[in-house]
Amino acid sequence: MKERNFVLISGLVVVLLAVVWMIPIYALVTTSLKTQQEVALQKYLVPPERPQFSNFIKAFQALKIGLRNSVVITLTATFVSVVVGSLAGYALTSFQFRFATLLFFFIVVVTFLPYHVVLIPITHILKFLNLLNTYAGLVLIYTILNAPMATLITGTFFMKVPPELEEAAMLDGCKPFLFYLRVLLPVSLPGIVSATILVFVQIYNEFLLGIALTRGPDVKPVMPFLAELKGTQIAQWHIQMAGAVITSIIPVIVFVFLGKFFISGLMAGYGKG
Amino acid sequence: MRYYRTQGLLFLIPIVIIIGIFYGMIVWDFVVAFTGWQGLQATWKFVGGYHFIRLFSSTRFWVNIGNNLRWLVFFIVPTVLVGFILAYFLHNLGRGEKILWQIFLFPMALSFIITGVLWAWMYDPSSGLINSLLRAIGVNTSQLGWIALPSSAIYCMIIAGFWQYLGFALVIYLGAIKGIPYEMVEAAKVDGASHFTVLFRVIFPNVGHATLICTTMLAITTVKVFDLVWVMTRGGPGVSTEVLPYLMYRLTFDSRDIGMGAATSIVILALSAIMVIPYSLWALKKWVRV
Repeated sequence: MKERNFVLISGLVVVLLAVVWMIPIYALVTTSLKTQQEVALQKYLVPPERPQFSNFIKAFQALKIGLRNSVVITLTATFVSVVVGSLAGYALTSFQFRFATLLFFFIVVVTFLPYHVVLIPITHILKFLNLLNTYAGLVLIYTILNAPMATLITGTFFMKVPPELEEAAMLDGCKPFLFYLRVLLPVSLPGIVSATILVFVQIYNEFLLGIALTRGPDVKPVMPFLAELKGTQIAQWHIQMAGAVITSIIPVIVFVFLGKFFISGLMAGYGKG
Repeated sequence: MRYYRTQGLLFLIPIVIIIGIFYGMIVWDFVVAFTGWQGLQATWKFVGGYHFIRLFSSTRFWVNIGNNLRWLVFFIVPTVLVGFILAYFLHNLGRGEKILWQIFLFPMALSFIITGVLWAWMYDPSSGLINSLLRAIGVNTSQLGWIALPSSAIYCMIIAGFWQYLGFALVIYLGAIKGIPYEMVEAAKVDGASHFTVLFRVIFPNVGHATLICTTMLAITTVKVFDLVWVMTRGGPGVSTEVLPYLMYRLTFDSRDIGMGAATSIVILALSAIMVIPYSLWALKKWVRV
């Protein structure tokens, strides 16, 4: 009886809190669909009378260059990071190098350091390479900053692959690179997907380098555009919220359809192997 | 395996170069902090601790340190505590567990910029969501400035961070609680232990690794927090919501005081190293195959 009461009360608490957690999202979406007059009434919990998709068109106009830039930069940098990271993860977990532990340590440390620690050197490197304000520069930097995390996540998954699998493949004359490509990647596909998602979301959501390494709109990623939209559309809440909805579409799709991998990536990336 | 070690080394080349660049950049940051730079031009003059002395003698820096401490305490404690209790509740619930933790985890997928845009609107004193809801139930909101008041702005921002990160703590704890042997919890309950006792005397001591992961990760987040400050308040009112990463950016890119910016980033490095290095050593134990 006491147990049932506890489950009931705790269930109630959890559900109430979940509702509180959803209110901002609900208000975000409904406000993004309202007219300015409706917004001015400040009845934020009332759904819009007629959904105003024109808000989205207006916000999209302001964000589209940023979205294009973000897609180009994020896809490229994620791809390179995961290729570099998974190759390293394979080498580190399979070959028992004596220095592997030390290298792992260096990799884990840089995975968690704030970008601010290397921000000034990054600008100097890009200036030296003449890559400031270019796609190539941003892709290069995002790769340097995210390949360590990709190594960490893929490595965690590769460690679960039984060593016998590799020994058998080698006995059959399978070379390491072919083993990586034909056996390891397919077998650890969940790990590859997790690493890809985590790196992808991290780069797409990134803001600091987006503003520090770009001038003007040409290659600037979308998050700085959204921050600017907030500055230029002061008190135009419906436009701001429409912009927030547009920029969150990609991560939300990832979360809804690939959430399982997002979690396992988080777990692997944060040291819970 | 042995025969292929050279090939294995080849696979490592890219990451070794990347890691090399990374640590090289850290060294470079020290060089910048101890020499005189003008914008992007090196003057190669060794200035010793000049930038650090200037930094440590400015009140702004200490306001920033204080704000970082506020983040450390008021962000971590509630997130860890509520995340832990919530995980226990959810675990006991048995049904609807998956959909519920997904609701809490959802904000983790969003950018700080989106969170910032959303919460800046919610906190707006005249037309924000929170005050409009309070007015609807008859509360006088004329004194409730939230993010516009120097005294409350930083706490408002921390709440937005709490909203975003609660799911992270929840998921980590949920995984850890599921790992505890069922019999152990049952035995305590049979002995007549209350839920409170079970929670803090039986479960909490057995999820130490989750607490370590959560506190460390959240602590690292507090020395990274930049986007929220930028998009919600730009450090204001005054410098009341400025934190070290924000100060570092301002000094470097707005005041063009690269030396001071580098000195600030060295302080950030020192603070992060205190957390990251022990954590990495701990995490490494899971990695090493005997």
